[in-house]
Amino acid sequence: MSPRGPLELGLPFDASTHGALVDALLAENERFDFLLLGLMVALIAFVLVRFGRRHKASPIAETRRSRMLVVAVALGIFVLIDGALLFGSERVMRTWLWNFEAIEANPQTVRIEVNAHQWAWDFRYAGADGAFNSPDDPLSWNEVRIPLGRPVHFQLASTDVIHAFALPNFRVQTEVIPGRIQHVWIEAKALGRFEIACSQHCGASHYKMRGVLEVMAPDDFERWARTASQRAGTAHDPEDPGQRWGWAWRRP
Amino acid sequence: MRGLGSTDHKVLARRYLWTGLFMLTFGGLLAMVLRWQLAYPGRPLPGGAALTPHGYTGVFTLHGLTMVFFAISPLLLGAIGTFVTPLLIGAREMAFPKLTRLSYWIYVAAIALLFSSLFARFGTGTAGWTSYPPLSTGLGTPGWGQTAVSLAVLVVALSSLLGAVNLVVTVVRSRAPGMHWMRLPLTVWSLFFASILLVLFTPSLFAATGMVLSDRIFGTRFFLAGAQAVAGGGDPAVYLHLFWLFGHPEVYVLILPAWGLIGDLVAWFSRRPAHWYRATVYAMAAVVALSGLVYAHHLFTAGLSPMLGRAFMALTLIISIPAEILFLNWLLTLWRGSIHLSSPMLAALGGMVVFGLGGITGLPLGAVATDVVLHDTLWVVGHFHLTMAGATFLALCAALYYWFPKMFGCALNERLGQVHVVLSSALFLLVFIGLLVAGYAGQHRRLFDPYQYAFIEHLLPLNKAVSHAAFLLALVQGLLVFNVAQALLRRQPVEANPWRVGTLEWTHGSSALPLVLRGAHELSQPEVERALGRDWIGQAEALPESPDETEALAS
Repeated sequence: MSPRGPLELGLPFDASTHGALVDALLAENERFDFLLLGLMVALIAFVLVRFGRRHKASPIAETRRSRMLVVAVALGIFVLIDGALLFGSERVMRTWLWNFEAIEANPQTVRIEVNAHQWAWDFRYAGADGAFNSPDDPLSWNEVRIPLGRPVHFQLASTDVIHAFALPNFRVQTEVIPGRIQHVWIEAKALGRFEIACSQHCGASHYKMRGVLEVMAPDDFERWARTASQRAGTAHDPEDPGQRWGWAWRRP
Repeated sequence: MRGLGSTDHKVLARRYLWTGLFMLTFGGLLAMVLRWQLAYPGRPLPGGAALTPHGYTGVFTLHGLTMVFFAISPLLLGAIGTFVTPLLIGAREMAFPKLTRLSYWIYVAAIALLFSSLFARFGTGTAGWTSYPPLSTGLGTPGWGQTAVSLAVLVVALSSLLGAVNLVVTVVRSRAPGMHWMRLPLTVWSLFFASILLVLFTPSLFAATGMVLSDRIFGTRFFLAGAQAVAGGGDPAVYLHLFWLFGHPEVYVLILPAWGLIGDLVAWFSRRPAHWYRATVYAMAAVVALSGLVYAHHLFTAGLSPMLGRAFMALTLIISIPAEILFLNWLLTLWRGSIHLSSPMLAALGGMVVFGLGGITGLPLGAVATDVVLHDTLWVVGHFHLTMAGATFLALCAALYYWFPKMFGCALNERLGQVHVVLSSALFLLVFIGLLVAGYAGQHRRLFDPYQYAFIEHLLPLNKAVSHAAFLLALVQGLLVFNVAQALLRRQPVEANPWRVGTLEWTHGSSALPLVLRGAHELSQPEVERALGRDWIGQAEALPESPDETEALAS
């Protein structure tokens, strides 16, 4: 990805199949915010000029009409803006964010376990045997590879404090809380290297808890996964408990 | 100096004011340190050393704690609230004067605890003002610095709770004869509602912070989980629920007084009654009722069940309706008014705009899909600073400029006040719109060096601009300091009712209890203008019935 200029202030590059829905909501909302801010300032400015010191104040607190205006505008804004956010968000949640059923059943789904700790990300794949916490699990630190166009289901745990696994280019993040397993899934629509951020204050080096997520072509990914699993099998040390941080895959 | 043992609400309110302003200054300087680091990463602070990553975490922790617990509510509730409430309702004193004194001194003790943490070997608390465990337990933040900070929060919360009980009982029991609920100034309603929230929800903070302290001091395992849970563990998510069950109502505690003040000031300085007063009161009540039911929007990314997530999303979006009603009522009060742009009025108008923008930027945070993108980014920081810092600070300025003559018996320089308030409003908007933009572009919060991330690198110029605006905002506050200092030194006398309104603090001179006859915004009423030749009448002032009485009064 090419570096951005100081005035390129839009959302980060969208590498996610599902990002468009969210981005539309966000862009719409940003437009509303500018519009409402402008309207507010204009109205107040108008009022200050039109009804200055010299204007004779109206003694009537409110009329039935003015009350109805308040109700109409308040409900109108609620229905238009809040409504758009509510229904748009519900659509995102149903089709992707909180919908794990589709990908659980899908044999194409890549499953990855993530161990968050101060101050790095450990990644674990199931390997050729399809089981986690077995000798052939490829392990990596701060770097994770995923295939293009296939669902990738992350399961996350933390061993020490609360972290948060954030993928700005995929419009998703989840807090990772010790004692619990969290779930998040994405599907990439663009090749490249994207950043993983920790977005929950987790200590002095929280700002450096950065990872890289690499999206590969599906065939390249398969080739890599096979080789990595073989290498992991040979490199596996049964005496090293530090390698066995994985767990049996949980259903969301 | 009045006796340290004084229970006089006016004396204690002024003490709250000076102490609160001191803490506000301290918190503000901490913010300048953060902005320095974000504008000039790694550069030594003026006159000092460069900030370290550990130091940075201490600075943003203290900044948040100071502002939320030790500055805004002690100033709005402790200083302004304690000063004006008895006066506005026609009471001689708070319901429990000794409790007022106790609250203040507990607040001072909490400050001492907070500052003591700076002397701990590993420094002050560094777990953020939210103190999430396990980071806030001995695992994440060893040493007695964090313990002292958590203890300070507990103690200051106790001070707030006691003050809140005092204020609630005062408003319920000590209103003068004729001061019906619907004749109260909106400021009193808002302070009353804020205090009810404190009474209801501070216990949740006690529980959450108490359990963290217990884990730190007594070796309990309420929040220890993961690798630490070698002998049965706890659940840090419980803390999140308990903390935010307090934390969300707390933001309404902070903004309610601002809402009440703005509502009153726009009426008084438009010289007309507040538009649909009743709806404003009910809207504030609705916010109080809903505030405990929306808190888990802070937990959308923490693994809430989808059902709970959807419920909290719906409720959070609904709570925007009462806020919209408040804003529209302010606007319609200005409409057809006779607007006097005094310094309190300009502050109220600035607060209106700042809050208006701040409020609507909260909407995407209330919807799950957009919150998942914006959570923990500077969008959130921009949103809550516009509402909790900008609007509340401007409301505080409004209150100070408005009641200064009553508090100190002398006048502030009006022109200086107007300039201060207009510049502050503009700069608040500039700084925090900058943060909104940075957050939208992806910059996360609480990062010592955000430019570690390639996708953020291009935001350094924006951050620099925001910091420069922030430094300017800080400098502009010098106008307020100068104004107050020169007023107190010169002690220029001021008339008894400088703003020409009817509320009791200006119009009720005698020591006898007033008999209240009307509401707080009876302005520009034709019968008053005919009978008395002015557009205001005291809340307890008898309106002459016959022309004979009018002549007698006029002579």
